[in-house]
This record gives sequence, C-alpha cells and structure tokens, in this order.
Amino acid sequence: MAKRVAIIASGGGLETAYKTFNIALAGAAMDAEVAIFFTFEGLPIVHKQGPSMLKLKPENEPMAEGFARTNVPPIDQLIEAAKESGIRLIACQMTVDALGWKADDFIDGVEFAGAATFLDYAMEAQVTLNF
Amino acid sequence: MNVQEIVAKADLVVDASGLGCPMPVVRAKKGIDTLQSGQIMVLKATDRGSLKDVPAWVQQTRHTLEEVVEGDGEYIFVVRKG
Repeated sequence: MAKRVAIIASGGGLETAYKTFNIALAGAAMDAEVAIFFTFEGLPIVHKQGPSMLKLKPENEPMAEGFARTNVPPIDQLIEAAKESGIRLIACQMTVDALGWKADDFIDGVEFAGAATFLDYAMEAQVTLNF
Repeated sequence: MNVQEIVAKADLVVDASGLGCPMPVVRAKKGIDTLQSGQIMVLKATDRGSLKDVPAWVQQTRHTLEEVVEGDGEYIFVVRKG
C-alpha cells in the first residue's frame, strides 16, 4: 500500500506553520502522499497574507534568531516546496465561511473541503498528525 | 576514498550545505528523481540532524547509502539509487 500522511494544522502562530511543513516536506521526500487540512487558527497559513498574519508567540520570539542562524527557510519557501512536492493543501470550508474569507484570499493550489474529505483521505493513512 | 574522488565519480552532486531541516532530504528527493536506478548521487549537508535523517530517508525510499564522510562540519552522503 502506498505510504500516506494525513496532517491537521489547527494551531495558531508561525510555530504551527513550521511544525506542519517540516513534517509534511520530509514525508513527501520519503515518497509518501501528504495532505494537510488547515482549520481554525491554522487557516491563515495558506492565506495570501499569511506571512504578515503569522507571528511567533511572545515566549518563542527568541527562536526567530535561531531560525535565522540555522537557515530555517521562510514559510513561503516551504509552501512553494510543498506545492512542488505534490502535497495537498486543503482549507476547511467551514472555517473559511465562518471568517467571511473568499477563495481568492488564498494562495494558488489550495483546495476547499470539509471534515469528511479529510477523513476519507486519512482513513487510508498510516501516519496522522495534528499540529 | 577522499571527498574529491567521491564527487568525481558521482552522476549528480546535490549541495544542501547551509540548509536546515527538512531541506536536505527535500533536495535529496528532488535530485535522485532525476537519476536512473543504479546511478550515484552525492549529497552534501551541514545540518547536524542530517547525519541521522539521510539514513532514515534512504531506508524509506529504498535507495542505498554507500558511504558517509564527516568532517569540518560537513557531511557527505553517497547514495545509490534503488
């Protein structure tokens, strides 16, 4: 059976974006199918204004310097790499509607769907994660 | 074999030096996809995690790790495509 990784990104802040894309990209590099469901506070990660909306939590601000020192790539580069790797980016339609956002507000390549779509995919996954 | 000899016999050299996790394996995947089975990719990295991560990547992708050379804060992985 093909390897499959199913990830929910529901947490807030830049931290969630890094955690999510780090594992997602490693999974894709290891020849797994990867899909990420962005919901609740995780939804801004795939918003066009994501880079300006996502901040580190105050207690994690010292990490910014460490990220720079260790050449951790900016989130937009990780998203580009994710799209190149064929990682599915699924925005939670319910959260999109609840926030009054529109499909055009999101980066290219994002799909819009709900819980059942994610679960239909995740039922066949060997690895499921929530960040 | 020294590093120069290893690099000279490679079919592809992928330089992931200076890149943090998970980029070394992301670059490795991108590189090895361009090779034929049996060809050799040399991957250079400086990320300390890559010392464990590249063998794990090789394990999952069914390639073969032929050699690892470590020195001067740089790691060189010789991977034969499976």
